[in-house]
Amino acid sequence: MKDCRLKINGKNYNVQVEDKWTLLYVLREVLGLMGTKEGCGTSDCGACKVLVDGKAMNSCTLLALKLEGKAITTIEGLGSSDKPHPIQEAFVEAGAVQCGFCTPGMIISTKALLDQNSNPSEEEIREGLSKNLCRCTGYVKIIDAVQLAAKKVKELK
Amino acid sequence: MNNIIGSRTPIDDALAKATGEATYTADIKLANMCYGKLILSTIAFGKVKSINYTEALKIEGVIDVLTYKDFPNIKYNSALRFKDHGILKTETVISETVRFVGDRIGLVIAESLAIAEKALKLIEVEYEEYKPVFDEEEAATSSIQLHEGLNNKVGTISTGADAETVADLISKADFIIEDKIKIPMVNHVSLETYSVIGEYRSKKITVYASTQNSFAVRVLISDVFNMPLNKVRVIQPTLGGAFGGKLEVVTELVAAGAAMKVKRPVKIVLSRKESMIASRTRNGATIDVKSGVNKDGTIVATDFKILINTGAYVGSGMNVIGAMSHKLLKAYKYPLRYTGSPVVTNTPIAGAMRGYGSPQAFLGMNLHIDKIAMTLGVDPVELNMKHIVDKNEVDILAFGNPELKACVTRGKELFDWESKKKEISKFNKKNQDFIRGIGFGIGAHGAGVYPAHQDCVNLLLRLNEDGSFNYWSASHDMGNGSLTAQKMIMSEVLTTDVEDIEATQVNTETCPWNLGDYASRGVFVEGQGAYKLADAMKNLILETSVLKFKVHKEALSIKDKKVWLDDKPLGSFGDIAVYAQTTLQKELSVLVDHHSIAGRTSYGAHFAEVEINRENGAVKVLDYVAVHDSGTIINRYGIEGQLEGGIHMGIGYALSEKMTFDEKGNLLENNLKKYQIFKSNEMPEIKVDFIETGDNGGPFGAKSISECATVPSAQTIINAVANAIGEHTNTIPISKEEILNIINK
Repeated sequence: MKDCRLKINGKNYNVQVEDKWTLLYVLREVLGLMGTKEGCGTSDCGACKVLVDGKAMNSCTLLALKLEGKAITTIEGLGSSDKPHPIQEAFVEAGAVQCGFCTPGMIISTKALLDQNSNPSEEEIREGLSKNLCRCTGYVKIIDAVQLAAKKVKELK
Repeated sequence: MNNIIGSRTPIDDALAKATGEATYTADIKLANMCYGKLILSTIAFGKVKSINYTEALKIEGVIDVLTYKDFPNIKYNSALRFKDHGILKTETVISETVRFVGDRIGLVIAESLAIAEKALKLIEVEYEEYKPVFDEEEAATSSIQLHEGLNNKVGTISTGADAETVADLISKADFIIEDKIKIPMVNHVSLETYSVIGEYRSKKITVYASTQNSFAVRVLISDVFNMPLNKVRVIQPTLGGAFGGKLEVVTELVAAGAAMKVKRPVKIVLSRKESMIASRTRNGATIDVKSGVNKDGTIVATDFKILINTGAYVGSGMNVIGAMSHKLLKAYKYPLRYTGSPVVTNTPIAGAMRGYGSPQAFLGMNLHIDKIAMTLGVDPVELNMKHIVDKNEVDILAFGNPELKACVTRGKELFDWESKKKEISKFNKKNQDFIRGIGFGIGAHGAGVYPAHQDCVNLLLRLNEDGSFNYWSASHDMGNGSLTAQKMIMSEVLTTDVEDIEATQVNTETCPWNLGDYASRGVFVEGQGAYKLADAMKNLILETSVLKFKVHKEALSIKDKKVWLDDKPLGSFGDIAVYAQTTLQKELSVLVDHHSIAGRTSYGAHFAEVEINRENGAVKVLDYVAVHDSGTIINRYGIEGQLEGGIHMGIGYALSEKMTFDEKGNLLENNLKKYQIFKSNEMPEIKVDFIETGDNGGPFGAKSISECATVPSAQTIINAVANAIGEHTNTIPISKEEILNIINK
């Protein structure tokens, strides 16, 4: 076990980790941050996406020890049901949530996309979410949600 | 009306899911909990000679390694629905004889998941190997026998027109057209993999499971471990998708048995690969279909034969064949004979998956009829319209009111089929690099279990002192929104807001008994139960008001969560509840039961346009239209979402999804890189619409959508590809290589 200092959702954590432990393992099994989901463990589905220095990355294949000094944001860092982030509100209002297992990862990818491009076209949204799999929605209402989120985020600025 | 029915209402736990606050089974941590990793067979058929786990036990933090010797050697059927459900029992919790790569042969239990994974790698298993058989056709006649005393071809069901009539009609027809269609196994790919926690405390078992079938899990645990039913509790936390894949018992019995052994809670979460090989799949199939066709474009009769691959254990095999047996008869009105058999093979176990046989059956029929249309040179939509059921034409008790023709007509219009035909012909003449095609498919699926077995639900509702309600229903919401629909139905009757009703998650100890959630019964059966429940509550509120306000019941009504005497509000629902507690000294709660006495069928017609790259054979879906008859719409978001997701599943079925095996029985597509479901940038724009005539037997005229959504879709794409390249491929999914072969002929 090695010492590992992680900055997650603006808070510093000192954890003991093994070399091979992924960020996802540390989030869920060590820190109890269960909002980030494991859908594949092979970096293919995007359910485990978190922001690492603003970039949406699959936490199931990122080694925790390599993330010291980086700013990590998980779904819990965006908002809560008492104070949801506009993207989270948009996913609810657009009917984009069904089983919800892909939703935290989708919302993280949406955050990264909208931070880069505040007014994405439908094609840019489809590209931006192409690393996140959803089995329930056919992506139709997820795309609506991202368009609604872009509007909401812009209104806030 | 309260204007809730037909509105767009987000699923009730959407915010919890969007904020990461919803608790799925894998998110639960119990005190003193340990972690299990399954030891799965690495061979397709044989007997375990020895399991050497000495090295594994030496690792610090490894608690125990369990094998078949640690579990009861009691056979069960994982597809059991209720006590004494008479279905063939071939499976055991942990096997000594292994019948597929992925069969359960043991469990490593450790203090953490990381330690359990490390220990698993050190376990050595020695087998006595037998020759396996993987294909259903081969297994049906093979000398290799998977189960002692049981034919690989487990049984046969025939329905529809009698064999002689069909053979005679076909022989006298102008042409005979025959097809053989091969369909592979596919996987549900619920984003949440199979997860379970077993707990044993004070002689009582609690299992938290990603299940659609809690009360049946309770029966199986009770049967296998000889426990009284009141000492077994099954709890269903939030489900991350299921699509039928979480209907059968997979790891619940392992977790329950392990918890009893180590006297600590044991959590088992399958990895993606484990979930693909060691949970459930959709049956692969071989279809032989033969029709007699006359020159005037009449199909005089069809003989439809299907073998399904039910995997290594019988499970749902006979049930899928039975469910499939009458689906085609609900959509076609000319003489059709169906014969189906499940076959056991040395492949992963098949079970329920969205459509329960209907996707394979309609895929086969639709491809066949499309090919007949192509052979005759007639429009496939017109040919289908001549042979599909009319409104009010069929047995009303079994089918209800089919609006399939209306779906086809509306879909054809929305898709602009006739103009598209011309545009495509022009496009294909001019374009050197791409070819376009259009395709059409239909499908049908039931609403509820009737008449296969009893179809009933019990529901409980309590009025609280502030006018809010608590609702207990063992209705497993998998993300499809069935609980939200039930709340909407009750809100409409009780004039409340949907948020005023809080639903519990399924818990066999606190919820009234229900069947599992399968057969698209969430709205038609449970929703009708919820309607009756709300109506009974309304009556109770009025009767209590009579006592409180000393007025005649006939003069009372409810509106805006209040009781009214003509146009004057007398008191809120909360006031009535408080009066009941303080004066009558009781709570206002109702328990109702509902059973379905008739079957209703949902229908859909789909249309698609595809574009094929002549150079590499890649297929792009350009446009998609789907029109369904699901009766009255309860939640527009819910029904649209189900349909859009069902289409996504069908497009994958046609073009990319398959489970194939090497000569040793190893799954080749064992991760989500190789098993490809469609991505957001690969999906077409989807237009959906509904025929909302409605039917009786369900709440406000509603039927069902969830399974039917996917039934017409794969064949729509396959027929569009055939239209583009001028020939049908009889193996799905259609590969780029096959397309290129046909183009370059």
